[in-house]
Amino acid sequence: MTAPVDGAASPGAGAASPGSGAAPVRRAPFRLATLRARATAAFTAVTLVVSSVVAVAVWVAVSQFLLLQRERVTLVQTSDNAAQVQRSLVTEGLDVAQVLAQLPRETGSTSLLVDGGAWTTTSLLVGRDDLPEELRELAVAGTPVRQRIELDGETVMAVAVPLAELGSAYIEVFPLGELDRTYRVLATVLAVSVLGSVPLALVAGWWITGPALRPLDRISAAAAAVAAGALDTRIDPRGDPSLAPIAASFNHTAEALEQRVRSDARFAADVSHELRSPLTTMLGALDLVEATADPGDAEQAEALALLRSEVERFERLVADLLEISRADAGSTDIALEPVQLSALTREVVGRHRLDRATASLLTVHPDAAEVLVCADKRRLERVLGNLMDNADKHGGGVTGIAVRRAGDLALVTVDDGGPGVAEADRDRIFERFARGTGSVRTRTEGAGLGLALVSRHVRMMGGAVHVEDGPDGGARFVVALPVEAGP
Amino acid sequence: MSRSVLIIEDDPRIRRMLQLTLQREGLEVTEAATGEDGLARLGETSFDVILLDLMLPGKDGFEVCREIRRASNVPVIMLTARSDSHDVVAGLEAGADDYVSKPFVVKELSARIRALARRSRAPEPRVHLTVGDLEISPTEGTITRDGAMLNLTRTEFRLLCELAVDPGRVLSREELLERVWGYDYFGDSRLVDVHIRRLRKKIEPDPSNPALVMTVRGMGYRVPG
Repeated sequence: MTAPVDGAASPGAGAASPGSGAAPVRRAPFRLATLRARATAAFTAVTLVVSSVVAVAVWVAVSQFLLLQRERVTLVQTSDNAAQVQRSLVTEGLDVAQVLAQLPRETGSTSLLVDGGAWTTTSLLVGRDDLPEELRELAVAGTPVRQRIELDGETVMAVAVPLAELGSAYIEVFPLGELDRTYRVLATVLAVSVLGSVPLALVAGWWITGPALRPLDRISAAAAAVAAGALDTRIDPRGDPSLAPIAASFNHTAEALEQRVRSDARFAADVSHELRSPLTTMLGALDLVEATADPGDAEQAEALALLRSEVERFERLVADLLEISRADAGSTDIALEPVQLSALTREVVGRHRLDRATASLLTVHPDAAEVLVCADKRRLERVLGNLMDNADKHGGGVTGIAVRRAGDLALVTVDDGGPGVAEADRDRIFERFARGTGSVRTRTEGAGLGLALVSRHVRMMGGAVHVEDGPDGGARFVVALPVEAGP
Repeated sequence: MSRSVLIIEDDPRIRRMLQLTLQREGLEVTEAATGEDGLARLGETSFDVILLDLMLPGKDGFEVCREIRRASNVPVIMLTARSDSHDVVAGLEAGADDYVSKPFVVKELSARIRALARRSRAPEPRVHLTVGDLEISPTEGTITRDGAMLNLTRTEFRLLCELAVDPGRVLSREELLERVWGYDYFGDSRLVDVHIRRLRKKIEPDPSNPALVMTVRGMGYRVPG
């Protein structure tokens, strides 16, 4: 499984050269590699936002509720106590300090009484001067007041209730530390829940998007298969209704593409078939003319040689075209059998070079003499023949052919006496109708199907072909085939 | 003695070219433009070899080949514009002895004609060969089982003779191609395999379980020694 986040930043992407006029191509500072990662990230972000909103709402509602409740409690208690103070002072004639000390109070709260400018308090910590002046004045003037104040760094609630006599009031100061602690715990719980939802959302998102995106994986796998040449690839929606429409259109496209490729290949095959009959007549007629030609006529001989070389080139082209179109159409009539590579190479070289001394061209290394490869004989002959043709046409002729062994591979190398193949062209020359670049391989003879066919055939037999520098400056084509058996 | 060849081919230019070139090679050439015409000629005279185009108007080459086989054991060389596995094997199954793909070189075609028209080599000094319960007389070109004649084509007969000369010895496909068809190296081993199959159908009591012409995997064929 790939990492969900691809954090690769694009360095310097935003640096535009001044005066260039073109806007710099800006890329996102980082991007997520896969759709699944992006979906997971989006899922996580939404979860984070939702849980944050919920947390804030809970915070506001709960804290408001707690505060309201606290205020109500303090108000009720202060009123009750004020009434009792009034009663006690008026009816029982008790001492002020005694009255205050007897009042029922919650822990930590302080009672104060102002009576005609005289202040009495139940706590040494809270006295007249600790209360704001505004509160004192309002209370003495006969207005009930409630105010939150800071006292020695603690938040307290002061509630003042005027008594019946003008100029006297009962004031009670309640600590709010308990409430603050409750707030802190609540805030901590909410924050932890919000942060904790992130990893949970990541895991859940990754887990959920997997099955959800699996249809997409299948589509991308199918598209890759088509791109790699398996034109008969189709997607089976397997009863997944969400996949069915896209599968149908993909299959339709693949079908059309396959039809198109097949009909192109069939057309090429039909054309080359049609060309075979006239070619047969031309070759036969040419034989006859050559046999009856005047041996003393140099011009006629040259004209006939030209004609023969062109007819043979035409023949090769038609054969190559037919063969490559057959491969395109998906024909797989490959007949693999054990073939003694050195013997087959010797035969091909012998046939190719009927007119010249051949013995010196072929070197069979002793360890490769008996080596068998698993090959289609006809195709392997074609491969070696095409490489020799190529050397003749573009490389100034074959200078050496060798059969050797390298571990599990059997190699045939064909060297030529040409200028070699430029590094940049070494892959390209195996493409269809590719010719050497003008400066290096100047002769334009050959339609360039030969090497494409070589590459295709070698790959069909499980081998590989490449070109490198030859020992004498020319090109060396190397065909490597897996060894079937041998010493 | 000049060999006689019947060409059944619908393309008049190829026909004419073959006549011109094969005559120069010393062969006696008769032409037919359709399969029906060719079969009619075959009824009138006998030929040493028949060249048969596979793509003919009317009766196609495969059908013509089967009809020729019903009446005669004369060697047939198919001319095919397709070298696909399917066409070649179908032609050989229909009874053809060899094939040449267009475009071909006339020299190669005449070499094929001569190889097939050649009488089978008499493996002296032995005059009679036996394979299992088969009696083979190479000089007379006959093969009998319990006194009853079996009908083999010339190529099938020569194939069996080559195997029977040295019982027990394995002959590779390449060796058989060289001895029977005259190929030096570049023969198509399907020729051997299809002919062996046809031969078995005619001589084996149970062709799917051969006891007379046996396959040696990866090496070739042999008859029991």
